[in-house]
Amino acid sequence: MREFGWQPELKELVIEASRALACLDADRLEELALSCQALSRDLAPATAAQRRLLAGQARNAMGDMAVFARVLEVTRANLHVMNRLRELRAGRLEYKELPGRGWARTESSHGDN
Amino acid sequence: MGTISSAFSLMSGALDADQSALSIVANNVANANTPGYTEETPNWQQNAPLEINGVSLGAGVTETGATSLRDRVLEERLDQQQQLASASGTRLTALDGVQALFTPDSGSTASAAGDIGSDMTSFFSSFSSLEANPTDNALRQQVLSSAATLAGDVSNAAASLNAQRSALDQEASGVTSQVNSLTGAIAQLNQQIQSTSPDADAGTLEDQRQQDLSQLSQLIGINQIKTENNGLSITTTSGQLLVSEGASYQLTTGTAGGVTHFFVGTTDVTSQLAGGGGELGGYLTARDQDIPGVLSSLDQLAYSVSTQVNSLNNGGTDLDGASGTTANPLYIFNQPTAVAGSAASMNVVMTDPNQIAAAGLGQGTGDNTNAAAMANLANQSIVSGLSPTNYFSNFVSTLGATVSGVQAENTAQNASVTQLQTQNNALSSVSLDDEASSMTTLERSYQAASQVFTMLNTIMAAALNLGDQTTVS
Repeated sequence: MREFGWQPELKELVIEASRALACLDADRLEELALSCQALSRDLAPATAAQRRLLAGQARNAMGDMAVFARVLEVTRANLHVMNRLRELRAGRLEYKELPGRGWARTESSHGDN
Repeated sequence: MGTISSAFSLMSGALDADQSALSIVANNVANANTPGYTEETPNWQQNAPLEINGVSLGAGVTETGATSLRDRVLEERLDQQQQLASASGTRLTALDGVQALFTPDSGSTASAAGDIGSDMTSFFSSFSSLEANPTDNALRQQVLSSAATLAGDVSNAAASLNAQRSALDQEASGVTSQVNSLTGAIAQLNQQIQSTSPDADAGTLEDQRQQDLSQLSQLIGINQIKTENNGLSITTTSGQLLVSEGASYQLTTGTAGGVTHFFVGTTDVTSQLAGGGGELGGYLTARDQDIPGVLSSLDQLAYSVSTQVNSLNNGGTDLDGASGTTANPLYIFNQPTAVAGSAASMNVVMTDPNQIAAAGLGQGTGDNTNAAAMANLANQSIVSGLSPTNYFSNFVSTLGATVSGVQAENTAQNASVTQLQTQNNALSSVSLDDEASSMTTLERSYQAASQVFTMLNTIMAAALNLGDQTTVS
């Protein structure tokens, strides 16, 4: 932990997380998760001056945290849509519609494979 | 012989099928950089088996056409998110222009409206100065001068807001022809798709229709309804029909209350379109909600300051020993008759500084009690329960919070569009393996981001608590 606060600032960290999530940069997000773990560990033994500094950084990052929360929310909605699509398409593979003959099991589910 | 002939037929059929499949692949390669093109895969159909001497033999496959690797549910979700992103982006641009009006030294022409907060402080301070020397002509001139600066900045701000509203009105009106052009094109494509490919994916025609839908989603909030034979109907988000399979319904405009209104048939859908999404939704929200809200606040400020100052001045005694009467009121500002329009019409009507009634009613001209009372207005709750400067400060903060909220919304919606485009590209442009990998990336990203968010939230809460404790001790 440095004498004059955390680098990068909390605000930059939050903005970077929003950007990485928008681009679905999973590797970067996992790195950021590790950074947050380290930051969390550093918090307990912080000096009074450092705590004040971090409190200022936290206040400064509040708006960007709200943006991050919204990006996370839309990502969850998108993930939900994609999961539903995956289920639908899995269903289509299992039960393929044949024109004029209704629904029939496909070759892949004949039991000989 | 029959068997050899069948074998040749089978081989020939296989070659034909391969040739057709190669054509589809070639088409995919040729269109790799075509915007909106969706990769196609060949459809294979098993031929009926041959019966020879009671033995059933396979007869190969036939290529029966191509299917685009598209998923309409995902495309529709993408269109919906695009509508929201487009609306918030348009609204944000408009709000940035409004905010610049109230940002001192922002450098924009609009900020010629100046700093209304400082103007009010200077105006009420000029009465404090006059209070110390109520007969001083220079100080009286200073009161009128600061009043003119305040009135000029308020009225300039109102004029700029009205100009911005007019510009938004024109922009919104201009969207109509683009919407009509696209809905007409989609209706035509519907007809072609329904006649040429009622049972299967229509390939390039569907690509064109999807591109038109994406463009339409930039402009206006829509719902898509799949109909029989690969048809499509489109409504506004409030349910007004824009396209019904092969027919399109025009969005028309008319003027009401000085602004453009939008109609489908004879129904006025303006307010529904405002909340619907797309550029049109953004323009209308800014035109009909954001700017009128800001103007209303400014009107309230101008009305309260003008009427309160006028009332006190009219009830005092001026340097010539006169007091205001119904026939000859001693008004500094023009007296507003209603709150609405007060900001735009705010100006200084007093030209003679001697008419400033620094003295109380019945007091000598050297008295300062009325000047003190007018100076004290700065601290009184005369504008919707707040002092003038606090009201203005509160108003600017609220505007800033609105801009910030729309900014957050726009960032999130754009992120959502980017994510969905990534998923859509994975679905329609690459292999199934890559598609599965893309889905895994989405899940990993969400999980990692959730961890980051939870930890940051905890860290920030702890930091604020620790910081506060430190501050208190």
